[in-house]
Amino acid sequence: MSHIIRANNLVKSFTKGLRALDDISMVVNKQEVLVVMGPSGSGKSTLIRTFNGLETFDSGKLEVVGVPLYSNHDERNIRAIRRKVGMVFQQFNLFPHLSILENIILAPMKVQKLTRIEAEEHAMHLLSQMGITKQARKYPSQLSGGEQQRVAIARALALKPELLLFDEPTSALDPERVNEVLDAMRTLAQKGMTMVVVTHEVGFAREVADRVLFMDSGKLIEMTTPDIFFSNAKHERSRKFLNQIEK
Amino acid sequence: MFSNLINSLVVISIVFIFLFSLLLVFKWLLFSSQWGVVTQNLPLYAFGVFPVDQRWRPCLWLLILAFLSIVTIFKPRWSWFGKVLPIAWVGVIPLGVGLLSGGLGLLPVESRHWGGFTLTILLMSCSALLAFPLGIMFAIGRQSKLPLIKYFSALYIDALRAVPLISILFFGQLLIPLFLPLGVEINRVSRAVISFTLFVAAYIAEDIRGGWQAIPNSQLEASKALGLSQAQTIRFIILPQALTIALPALTNQAIGLLQNTSLMSILGLVELLGISRSILANPVFIGRYIEVYVWLAGIYWVICTVMALLLRQLEEKVSIQRRIRKNV
Repeated sequence: MSHIIRANNLVKSFTKGLRALDDISMVVNKQEVLVVMGPSGSGKSTLIRTFNGLETFDSGKLEVVGVPLYSNHDERNIRAIRRKVGMVFQQFNLFPHLSILENIILAPMKVQKLTRIEAEEHAMHLLSQMGITKQARKYPSQLSGGEQQRVAIARALALKPELLLFDEPTSALDPERVNEVLDAMRTLAQKGMTMVVVTHEVGFAREVADRVLFMDSGKLIEMTTPDIFFSNAKHERSRKFLNQIEK
Repeated sequence: MFSNLINSLVVISIVFIFLFSLLLVFKWLLFSSQWGVVTQNLPLYAFGVFPVDQRWRPCLWLLILAFLSIVTIFKPRWSWFGKVLPIAWVGVIPLGVGLLSGGLGLLPVESRHWGGFTLTILLMSCSALLAFPLGIMFAIGRQSKLPLIKYFSALYIDALRAVPLISILFFGQLLIPLFLPLGVEINRVSRAVISFTLFVAAYIAEDIRGGWQAIPNSQLEASKALGLSQAQTIRFIILPQALTIALPALTNQAIGLLQNTSLMSILGLVELLGISRSILANPVFIGRYIEVYVWLAGIYWVICTVMALLLRQLEEKVSIQRRIRKNV
């Protein structure tokens, strides 16, 4: 199986001595769902944000969707990556001045230079996948958190990405809205979308993830299948973390 | 109101002072004021010393402006007009310049014959039209990653805000001609417009920066993550939001600009205040200061109110709330 992300010895330090990423080397394969877990401040958000160039790193090498990225962060390479990698944020980050449909067609029209008709057709298709066709003409503030997050997923899918990054996609949602977003993600995974998901949703990780990556204080502690991770984690720190979230 | 002695005394004295001044005003209005200085000079207030046989030109322009204002404020139900309205508002300003200066079959009228209300509106609208894109440019420049552009913009904004407007106007009127090569001449009205534009652009840039900084960083991240370039992010994500936020402050600038055009009367333009001063200098109307200034205050008040209403319409038009209401 070929890889879609390859990280070699990524290091990022915030202040002297404190490392957000501490010598991370890892591979994500095509069509794989990788769930990233870890206590807050462990560097998991930083890690997935380096994958599309939202965070820089100080040394090491990264290769995403076939585009290499070094610590000099070549702007052209970053844009090449972003055209093929979608991202979904914790706070949705929809554009409040644009309607739902406009939010989704903006990038296809401006980045891929699709015509409005083509972009809208594809956008409506994505919205129907997410089950929110009726909201197309509304504005983000009129939608519930769960609906907004599904719009954000549709927006990320609009560029037909090879890889989707999720940065705690359900953490800002009301508990009863979490499942509609997780269901949408589950469907994507079944269709073979490659996804890297930072989340605390153990159920989702168990059921959907191919592998779980556990981080603590910037270090990659362990990367293994969910079966092994949740029942038989090798490392003391992983077990401690699992004990805490299962309480 | 009358809870204790002091409150009662305060209330009664305020009412008394108010009624007394009202009485004085009415006494003046009924017995002492002579409005001939206004009524006999109405064309002068409106058009200045524009050639009498050509007065239909500024008159036509003012009528078009009045028409546009009424349509914008009262919003009749002709749906086709709503779409061309922004274009009409931008287009009417060069149209005014064209109508006043002539050419294309119209008799050319030199800018020194322009004046009165027409000139006031022209100075304000031309300066606002030019200052707005310039202000946006400086606001963008100030956020630029290129140090040269960034510091030049910051320097420009700080320098222009550190200088009083009147000195910039003097600079425009007296010094610009000295710097120009021989044979090149820019008329006084254009020099005034240039000065106002340069001055107001700095303030507009700062107002937009205020709106810009109110946009959360997460908006930029979302835009970047979608692969939009820096320029596209500014154009489609930042500016629409920043301008909406800055609009009330920009309205203030526009009204301030209108009132500042009266400074040009010191520098020899016969706009509204200038023409009033020359009317007062006429021996026939000697001493009729109060009537003229009350009249002027009334006109400025009307223009400001109309502008405020117009810009309120714009605010309403761009607000997300309104778009949402329209949806429901």
